[in-house]
Amino acid sequence: MNEFWHIEPRFEAAVKGYFAQPPQAELELEFPVPEKDFNTAGNGASETKNLLKRLGVDSDTLRRIAVAAYEAEINVAAHSKGGIMKCLIYDDLIHIRFQDEGPGIADMDQAMIPGYSTADELVREMGFGAGLGLPNIKKNSDALHILSSANNPTTVELLIFF
Amino acid sequence: MTDTTYKYFHAIQILEDNCTGCTACVRVCPTEAIRVRDRKAYLDPTRCIDCGNCVTACKFHAIIPRSDSLKAINKYKYSVAIISAAYFGQFTEDISYPVAKAAILELGFDEVAEEASITEFMIDVIREYIRENRDKRPILSSNCPAVVRLIQVQYPSLLPSLYLRETPMSVLTRFIRDKVTKEKNLQDDELGIFLIVPCVAHVTAVHQPEGVNKHLQDGAFSIGMIYGRVREYLKNLQNNPPEIDTYPKGLTWALSGVQAELVDCDDIRTLSVNGIDNVMEILSRVEDHYLDQYDYIVLRSCTNGCVGGCLNVENPFVAMSRIKKMIKEGDVTEVDLSGIETMYRAGEFDVDQLSARPIMELDKDIKAAIKKMKQINEFLTMLPGLNCSACGSPTCYALAEDIVMGKASIEDCVVLLKRQSKEEE
Repeated sequence: MNEFWHIEPRFEAAVKGYFAQPPQAELELEFPVPEKDFNTAGNGASETKNLLKRLGVDSDTLRRIAVAAYEAEINVAAHSKGGIMKCLIYDDLIHIRFQDEGPGIADMDQAMIPGYSTADELVREMGFGAGLGLPNIKKNSDALHILSSANNPTTVELLIFF
Repeated sequence: MTDTTYKYFHAIQILEDNCTGCTACVRVCPTEAIRVRDRKAYLDPTRCIDCGNCVTACKFHAIIPRSDSLKAINKYKYSVAIISAAYFGQFTEDISYPVAKAAILELGFDEVAEEASITEFMIDVIREYIRENRDKRPILSSNCPAVVRLIQVQYPSLLPSLYLRETPMSVLTRFIRDKVTKEKNLQDDELGIFLIVPCVAHVTAVHQPEGVNKHLQDGAFSIGMIYGRVREYLKNLQNNPPEIDTYPKGLTWALSGVQAELVDCDDIRTLSVNGIDNVMEILSRVEDHYLDQYDYIVLRSCTNGCVGGCLNVENPFVAMSRIKKMIKEGDVTEVDLSGIETMYRAGEFDVDQLSARPIMELDKDIKAAIKKMKQINEFLTMLPGLNCSACGSPTCYALAEDIVMGKASIEDCVVLLKRQSKEEE
């Protein structure tokens, strides 16, 4: 298994504490992300944003969450055989977890390079696959964790603090 | 006529006697501002953005536009009408542009002016504003009052992106007020300036303008309301063609697409969006910075722009086609806009930063908001999920929220009630 971690230094303790023993979420949302379905991909991010708006999360944090969630959702639709997006919401942070059904990321280091893409013809025709997905998610998240290997499912999870 | 019971003025009125409680209005309201309770529709003035969807949806004349009475012009020594460009798309092609314009004068005004006369100036000013505000991208047009109010209630983070200058009708109002009071030696309150408008949002904007503290218009008449009267004058005017200035090239203002095209140039990329659902989708994407590649986005709540306003009489596509024909066949009109230019340079058309009217937050405190959201989710699992609106709330989610906010009860759900009565049998 290949593993990637990115944690904003100022959140290091909070992130480690969170993952050591994830508490019971206050609110949970779950969305299916079907393979190559670009009509529904993005719905999860958009509904999550609407819910957080109702909770009064500030607009800059909202934007980062919306962008990170949208990019990750598109990634699952474009590159995997489909998966699930799950949001765990607390009063100080959101944890979004994407679990797909493979085929996995063969080269994690390359996947993190802006502009690198393994997107196929269909995905590119749809206007996606510019290779900015993972770098964009990393840029907008306070913590990003990816677990994957070739021919295996991928887990992408991110934390953003309010 | 301003309703002082509410903080926010709205140019629509619900006539309780006519309301059947059918919920057609509840279902078309983009900001979920209407509820039916005890078989009557009620408007939440904090949520309403005056888009006019409910006016169009109501088949029982229970939701009607508020409009000033034409008698209002008699209160003034001198009265001026400023006509929305959309007005000129409302007539069959045998009615000429000058005839349609002169007919407004016949209503009793001393002078008529047109939004279209300053379109070219507006395009230059908008371009200048876009270039001066490089740090804001995209800049959002503020001409449509319904869009401005939508941003205030639902997308307050985008308020700094609004184009903060007066709209053409208000620019013209300020200019005419300055000019006419001087030329005719009138006191400010002796001159009445009125707008001829295509929608309720513009009537609201006249009575409760956002971001300005200056004296603007004295009333607004809808195209639909004056149309019948205007038609009476047409025949006579056609037989005696009036001599009156027209501004065919400026009629672009009524069409959101054409306005965007005109602002578009080498260093300014524009996008045109119309129809309230499209506007909401685009604003949501702007919030997430997915449309930063655009410098300027023209947003109009109605189909095709102001030609789609709910107080017009003609279909928005037919009206658009007619206006496009007039633009194509018309000549350029020479106008002296140096007076307006001077006022503009003096900062006379600047507008204050608008304040938010947030309606989305369940509670100021996030812990309390989460608690309410949990309660909403609990009610949501009990509700049938049909979104039938029979309870008087637009969706099951809205009912759940209404219950938690103390504005409704679970007994309002007709479907649950029916299921319960079946179980009891």
